[in-house]
Formats: sequence, C-alpha cells, structure tokens
Amino acid sequence: MKNVSGIIPCYAADTSGVCSALYELGGMTVVHDASGCNSTYSTHDEPRWYDMRSNIFISALTELDAIMGNDEKLIEDTVSAANDRAPRFIAVCGSPMPMMTGVDFDAVAAEIESRSGIRTFALHTNGTRSYIEGASEAFLELVKEYARPCSKTEGGVAVLGLTPLDFPLGADKEIRRWLSENGFRCLSALAMGDDLGSVGALPAAELSLVVSQTGLAAAEYLKEEYGIPYVCGVPFGKEFAVHLAAYMKDIIKQNMGCSPVMEPCCGFEDADTVVIGEGFFAGSLTAALREDMNIKALPLCTLPAYGPFKSLIGGEISAEEDIKAFLEEKKPGTVIADPLFRYIVPKETRLIEVPHFAFSGRCFQRDMKNMINTDIKEYFK
Amino acid sequence: MIKLAIYGKGGIGKSTCTANLSAALASLGKRVIQIGCDPKADSTINLLHGDPVLPVMDYMRINDEEPESIEQISKIGFGGVLCIETGGPTPGLGCAGRGIITTFTLLEQLELFKRYKPDAVLYDVLGDVVCGGFAAPIREGYAEQVLIVTSGEKMALYAANNIYQAVKNFEDRSYAKVRGVILNRRNVENEEAKVRAFTDKAGIEITADIPRSDDIIRFEDMGMTCVEGDPGCEAAKRFLSLAQTLTDEDGKNG
Repeated sequence: MKNVSGIIPCYAADTSGVCSALYELGGMTVVHDASGCNSTYSTHDEPRWYDMRSNIFISALTELDAIMGNDEKLIEDTVSAANDRAPRFIAVCGSPMPMMTGVDFDAVAAEIESRSGIRTFALHTNGTRSYIEGASEAFLELVKEYARPCSKTEGGVAVLGLTPLDFPLGADKEIRRWLSENGFRCLSALAMGDDLGSVGALPAAELSLVVSQTGLAAAEYLKEEYGIPYVCGVPFGKEFAVHLAAYMKDIIKQNMGCSPVMEPCCGFEDADTVVIGEGFFAGSLTAALREDMNIKALPLCTLPAYGPFKSLIGGEISAEEDIKAFLEEKKPGTVIADPLFRYIVPKETRLIEVPHFAFSGRCFQRDMKNMINTDIKEYFK
Repeated sequence: MIKLAIYGKGGIGKSTCTANLSAALASLGKRVIQIGCDPKADSTINLLHGDPVLPVMDYMRINDEEPESIEQISKIGFGGVLCIETGGPTPGLGCAGRGIITTFTLLEQLELFKRYKPDAVLYDVLGDVVCGGFAAPIREGYAEQVLIVTSGEKMALYAANNIYQAVKNFEDRSYAKVRGVILNRRNVENEEAKVRAFTDKAGIEITADIPRSDDIIRFEDMGMTCVEGDPGCEAAKRFLSLAQTLTDEDGKNG
C-alpha cells in the first residue's frame, strides 16, 4: 500500500501547521475537533506551550454534534471565548471528523465574525495532510489580510516560513542577527519572535527570504501584489551564509522580479551523502555542506514541495517504501536526517542525526541543532 | 452566469426537468454544465443518448486516485452540454453526502469553471437537503438560486416545503435562495391551486408549469430530452420559455 508508514512516523498534520504559524500573533486559533485532541496541536507539536501564552480553542466536538451538524454550538462557544479573550483575529480550522461531515468553515467563520465583530477567517485543514499545507495557508491568509501598501525600507527583508516545526527555538534571533550583520533590516520573521503589527509592514520589504516551504505561498503573493522578489534558502553554515547574503544583495540591486533559488542548493547525483527532510532545509544544508566542507550531498525532500525549489531538489519522495527503496538503491555512505529515520536507513550507512520537530516532536528536542550562520563542521565531521 | 440547483422529492422529475432545461439553455446558445449530485448518477443520461458518463466516485473507486483532467470525468451531451455525475459510494456503505463534497473539491482543483467558462451551471440534487453534503450545491460559490420541482401530490408538496425550510435555515449564510418551483404536473385534482397555496405561503413563485406529457416519456425512451426530440412540442416550449426567462434575468443582473 502506498503512503503507509509502518516504521517511521508521519509528519505533524496541517492543523498543527496552522496552530504553529499563528501561535505568537495574538489571535485565537479554533480547532473544530474532539476534546483531548488539543494535546496533539498544542503540546506534542508545540515547544512554546509551557513558556508562552497563546489562545488555542478546541471545540470539543461530540459524536452527537457531528451527527446533528450542530454548527451553532461551535459558533456560540467561539464567540463566547472571543468575548472573554479579545483576540486580534480568529482563525477556524478543521480536523478529520468535520471533513467527513462537510462543515462549511467559510460560512462558520463569516457567522462568527458577524456576531463577534472580530476578523475571522477559515483555514481549510482536515488533519490528513502535512503541516506544510496548514502553515502555508495560514501565512498566506495573514499576508492577504494584513499586509498593506507602504513605502520601501532600504535593505528591508521579510523572512517567511519560520515555525518551531522546522526550526529550533531561537532560530529567529539567529536569522535576525545574521541579517543585521549583513546590512539588512529584518522587517518581519513570520512567525517566530514576531507580532501581527509587523505583518502590515511586509510590503516595505525589498526582498522576501523564504526559509521553508510553508512561506512560499505568502512570498508568491507578495511578489504578485507588491512586486517583492524572493530568495529561497536558509543561511546554514558560515560560507554558505555569506554567499546567500551576497546573493540577496544582488537580487535587490538588480531589482530582479524573478523567483531565484540559490543554485548551490542543487544536489549532486554522484554524492555519497543524502540529506533527508523538508525541501528548503535539505537543499540549504546540501549547499552549506558543499561550500563549508566540500562535501557533495543530495537532498531528498520527504514533504510536499511546490514552486521553483522542487526542480532543484529533484522532487519529493514521501512514501516510506519509496524512501527505503531510494536509500537501498543509492547506498549512500552517510545519511543526514531525523533520528527516527534510523530504522529505514541501510545498516552499512552512517546516520548523522539532525532532529526535526515536525517529525519526531519532543523526543529529540534538546538535540536540535542551530546551524544558522554558524560553524557546522563539528556536526558533520 | 446562471447558477441553479434543482431539488425535489424523489421520483418527481428533477433529472427530467434539469436535463430539459440544460438542453433548452444550450439551444439558446448558452455554454452549459450539468452536474448530477445523486449516487444513482442518472441525471445526464438523456443528454447523452443513453451512453452514461463515468461518475467521479466510480473513477476514484476504479483507479484509486483522483482524476487529473475534467475530460476523464465528463462527457459532452446534446447542444454541447458538459455532463458530470458525482455518483456515490457502494450502495449501503460509505457516505453519499461526503462524495458530493469530495467531487466539488475536486472540480475546484481542476478549475472547472475557470477552464470551461460556462454561461450556466445546473446542479441536479438528490431529494431533500438531508445532510451537509446535499447542501454543498447551495453553498457560496456554487448555486445562487434553487428551483424546487413539485407536483400537486401531497408528499411532493411536503418534500418541497421541507426543502424550502432547509434552505431558509441558511439565510444567515451567503447560500443560494429559493427562486421558485417548477410545477411538474401529474394531473391531480386542483393541482395548480394546491401548489399555489404552498408558493403563496412561502412567498415564492411558480417559475415554470410543465404539462403532463407523453412526449417527455417517449423521447426519454429514446435517450433524449423532449427539447432535443421535438422542440416544438408543448413541454419543450415551456422549458425553452423557462430558459429564456432565466437568461433574460441573468442579462439584467449583469
């Protein structure tokens, strides 16, 4: 059977992607799901849960409410909670059961907005897709909703696609520091260490830096609506981080309206090292290994990939059996991946563990590595 | 664009009326899509000379994957009408309402309206608005008006009232509104008066009055609508008149 994971886990679901993307922005995220499921979104997939407050509302959908199509309870409870908490916006999203009963989330959101007077939008999650789709839709909706025309800020950069599902806590500070060291000004880092106010100022950016697939849809929108070019990549390592910053400056200087991707992100077919993970992570680490350590690697994207990055990383392989078959055929000397990939990596292959929160959750959180603008030689020697 | 959902009691003639209306709109030069939303998948058969289109649910059951193009799940019928059937799960299993939602999501993904650019879309929906799936055709972005097919028979009017109330329940949402009824005559006593009593109470109109006609039955036996078979017959004239009314209104609404 295709797409069945018998050994490795599946990635965090789309609903978790929404919760993660919106966590710090002062809104209220409403998940229409059974009581008890909040632990999945808010704790297993959320490392900020114990240290940072956020309004996450689980509707506690019952069997009878689902059968009877009792949307009124969801609407009334949400409005009541919103009256208590006064969030800046309300995002309503779904889970598998509402998907099966066909809840019309757009209509529900419109009714909540009409009764609460608080801007409300629907995010069309169903719990069966990956966090990429959920976070991607959430970022896109935010940018559509709150970005407004404004004058340009010289060297202004919008960082898009930043969540703890893909990056260790503190990554936002590292990216801001790196941007600052290179003469850029970080206008917004959606969405870690950021607030809703900065989303409005995104069109002041001269460039978007897309650091994961979750930020690409928002970047495309900013390009279409405001003519802001974007660059895809994460400043891993030292040399690659320098190269990426120089590349970004060139894009701004030449006022290129295209959608450039760092060419070194492209892998090497004869590589003996395979980097497994989210496409932007894998592509950027491949580039950093090459530039910092002269290691030829091949990125293997195991999550949905869209846009210009897809062709450079050779597409995506997401089914466990396909990943296993790829590794068995390729027989790489080294695989760089989350520790839970150990069980499908060939025995003779060396695994260098780089935990990915969206894959293994809190299991290896303390071992997550900050590789942004830092010496990576120690990790991969 | 004319965006119309047709509801009514089972067996009252929804598919007959919808297919004839599609054929009539096509005869007026309109680009029409008819989507049958019934597991029986027989809404469009009289536009296709009895050669049915593969329903969307059947495609997915056979191929175990979603279709990649509209052509895989549609056929061109009389007058160029694009015919699509949602179909449904194995009888007695699964969830037919969910099947309709899945089909609509898929048609969105395939950019049906963007690519086909229709002048009219007609949704022929099974019986009552029994669950969320069967309300999908009246959600925002799909049908804007509902026509309820009824005769003067008591149970047909009972169902018509249920449908009217169900649609009314959604008035807080930007859903379709009931436009009126198609009186599909069964020649019961005081038929028009009985139907008019219902429409007057509901504050809606009898939008079309279709006579009991052997022509309809005769041409359906030949796998076609009476609009195709004999556009001059009385029943066909009524459908053509309804098509003209809807077209004129659509023109006025810009």
